[in-house]
Amino acid sequence: MTAYGFDWAAVVRGLPYLLEGAGLTVVISSIAMVLAVLLGLALAAIAQAPGHLARRLVAAYVEAFRNTPLLIQIFIVYFGLPQLGLKLSPFLSGLAALVLYAAAYNTEIFRAGMEAVPQGQFEAARSAGLGELQILRYVIVPQAVRISFPALGNNLVSLVKNSSLVSTIGMVELMFVANDISFNNFRTFEIYGAAAVIYVVIVLTLTRLLRAAEGRLLRAPA
Amino acid sequence: MRVEIVVQTLPYLVRGTLSTVGIALAVIVVGTAAGVALGLLRFGPWRWVGALVAWLVELVRAVPLLLLMFFIFFGLPALAIKIPTFPAAVLAMSLWMAVNTAEVVRGGIQSIPRGQFEAARSIGLSELQAMSYVIFPQAVRRMIPPFVGLCTILIKDTSLAAIIGVFELTRAAQETIERTFRSFEVYLTAAAIYFVICFPLTRFAQRAEARLLRP
Repeated sequence: MTAYGFDWAAVVRGLPYLLEGAGLTVVISSIAMVLAVLLGLALAAIAQAPGHLARRLVAAYVEAFRNTPLLIQIFIVYFGLPQLGLKLSPFLSGLAALVLYAAAYNTEIFRAGMEAVPQGQFEAARSAGLGELQILRYVIVPQAVRISFPALGNNLVSLVKNSSLVSTIGMVELMFVANDISFNNFRTFEIYGAAAVIYVVIVLTLTRLLRAAEGRLLRAPA
Repeated sequence: MRVEIVVQTLPYLVRGTLSTVGIALAVIVVGTAAGVALGLLRFGPWRWVGALVAWLVELVRAVPLLLLMFFIFFGLPALAIKIPTFPAAVLAMSLWMAVNTAEVVRGGIQSIPRGQFEAARSIGLSELQAMSYVIFPQAVRRMIPPFVGLCTILIKDTSLAAIIGVFELTRAAQETIERTFRSFEVYLTAAAIYFVICFPLTRFAQRAEARLLRP
């Protein structure tokens, strides 16, 4: 057994490439976050529509996507769909799977938030002469977002960490870069350690931002 | 879409499923035990231990599970600690489970009003007794929904073990596809199997949460 000599210079050499990967992690996560929040809001609103059909279809989507592994979803989009004639790039496949997975959780979070808005709010808004869409836009959604915010924040943080899975289909983000470098120079301990530090910085920054946003949201007038 | 492919490959996928269930159970036992201990340490009499645990939990929770797994499987051999794929995956997932369970425990305990603790102390219970007989039993009820949610996420995330070559459901699906080239059908079948395991747990967590909200 030979003693392992640490080579931290390997981290310095790999840093530009690692940061490039971290940049793409931030980019794909940010795009996925925006799309997943919008899709989640839209589906939660659709689920409020009268009749059972809309609610059941949304529930089927939510349960299908949050009860199956993201990794399998990524593989179905990237390896499975070409078999049906739909071929997407690694970036689009990864993005699509990340959005669909996170949006399933967001839909459920927003739906619970909307249902937590007291019934009297609907009645008051209706008696004030607002239409259904106006009620949703001005009365329900603003309150539902506040109620949902902590759970939503947790899910967005998970999204950033989950973005590491798109490395498996060859998207060159932080996890992929860490694998790429350490399989070449065998400095696995140092490089994975450095990648972990970068993830911690990204995730803790996002956590702080969300906390600040939550504070402002709660202080802002309704 | 060829249905006979699903029928032919099902026995192999079921073998993978058994391994997935085994891994998940092992991780839930080990990770939960460690997580409850970590979570409780935050409320112990030693301030600095609590602070250290809080710091460690936040740090480890910020690292993706996939990276934890790669670090343990590929990174630790650099320190002459060589762990085979199966225990490496179980270790990484248990670490993940432990820090997340610790958060659930902390949340559950903090959700109990402080007055309960003060009342317990004022009738002469020690801190340990107040925790064991008053706070923890009430907190456990509130921990159940998020804890079951955590278990579902864990079961889904056991699929990551396939990436370092552990034989479980996802790996079984990959091997099947190498032979049949029918990725759509096989992955869809694997997804359906995960669904059958996870959906009842999700339902259970929802019901438990609804029951908590009811007065």
